[in-house]
Amino acid sequence: MELYNKLLHTLVGWQYELNSYISTTIRSLNDENSLGTSLLILGIAFLYGLIHAAGPGHGKALVALYFTSNKSDYKKAFKMGYMISVIHAISALIFTFGIFFILKTMFRKNFNEFSEIAMLISAVMITLVGLYLIYEAYSGRKHKEKKAKKSSKSEVAVAFSAGVVPCPGVMTIVLFCIVLNQFTLGILAAIAMSIGMGLTISLAGIFSIAFSRKAGGFLNEKTYILEMIGGLLVFSLGVFLLLATTNLS
Amino acid sequence: MKAIFILSVFISSLFSHPHTFIDVYPTVKVQSDSATVVNFKWVLDDMTSTILIMELDKDGDGKINEKENSFIHDVYFSLFKDYSYYTYIKVKGKDIKLPEPKNFRATIENNKICYSFDIELKHDIKNTVIEFGDSDFFVAMVLKDEFVKADGLHAKVTGVDNDFYYGFRLEFK
Repeated sequence: MELYNKLLHTLVGWQYELNSYISTTIRSLNDENSLGTSLLILGIAFLYGLIHAAGPGHGKALVALYFTSNKSDYKKAFKMGYMISVIHAISALIFTFGIFFILKTMFRKNFNEFSEIAMLISAVMITLVGLYLIYEAYSGRKHKEKKAKKSSKSEVAVAFSAGVVPCPGVMTIVLFCIVLNQFTLGILAAIAMSIGMGLTISLAGIFSIAFSRKAGGFLNEKTYILEMIGGLLVFSLGVFLLLATTNLS
Repeated sequence: MKAIFILSVFISSLFSHPHTFIDVYPTVKVQSDSATVVNFKWVLDDMTSTILIMELDKDGDGKINEKENSFIHDVYFSLFKDYSYYTYIKVKGKDIKLPEPKNFRATIENNKICYSFDIELKHDIKNTVIEFGDSDFFVAMVLKDEFVKADGLHAKVTGVDNDFYYGFRLEFK
């Protein structure tokens, strides 16, 4: 526990420095240094996303649990991480531009209300994905080939349910850029940050696959037991998130 | 019981990483052995401040007037009450409820939103420990030695491990 907290504290310290560095660098943008500085900002945004996603987040938890329940290769974990980051970036951009240009005021308050709705959608979807995985493991325990085809559907569902909640960190950078009249940079920074976050989320999936391969070998032919446990864990995560979200509102 | 609490805190923190960074500047004014006023100045990070200034400095003059100050207090600052203003007081090791903040004032300094408020303590400050942190992990409170002003006292800032989040502790000698 102590080690985990120390790690979190270190990550927070890095984010504190990077957050300040990004804002100072964006403010320093002018006509003469625009290309070099913009590239620097995108680089920092990528790094910021990488570290930002290393803190507690439901995306990583979901991906890790999903891959314990699924016989997959590392490529799939990368694909999943990047599907989540694309959905995450699109969601953040839609929310930010929507609130900024349509509602115009009360950004923070509106943001909190909309993100609660997104969290609820996400929690319900994760619960359903959990149920689907349990069903898939149960019905596929004797029909492995059929199961493999079904899995791509659940991958999209997992990516959507994890990515639909817009990241306030991404939204803050986008909005900060909009206020400073740097629209294009704001969109590119959101993409760079999301790619960084996607990489970290992919790593959670990769660790999970490595673990489930070992456990799967131990269980030999009865890997559906592990898949069933994974499905139950995803389902439990969805229920807990649902409870946490309804408690928040 | 503790495991359930830790699990519920962990689950609620799954939606969050720190998204707002607040530098905390405490200034301690000892009035007697049993009366101390601690002024807290929160300086919000540049990005969060810029978004808030866009919303809160309604006349756009770069200053927060009385009307804007009341609005910020009632609509934004009061929300922190549910989170004990991310500030926790312990006297001789026992938790006490944070007294209601007084003299709230919002200002804009160097593009940053600052919230200043007083907490009146009816205890000997030398027996008092103040901790800062957000168990929901949405806000990161940052306290450094150089942020503390406590004339005539020796202030000590340390990191503190609170089961599921890491905060800062301020104590005096």
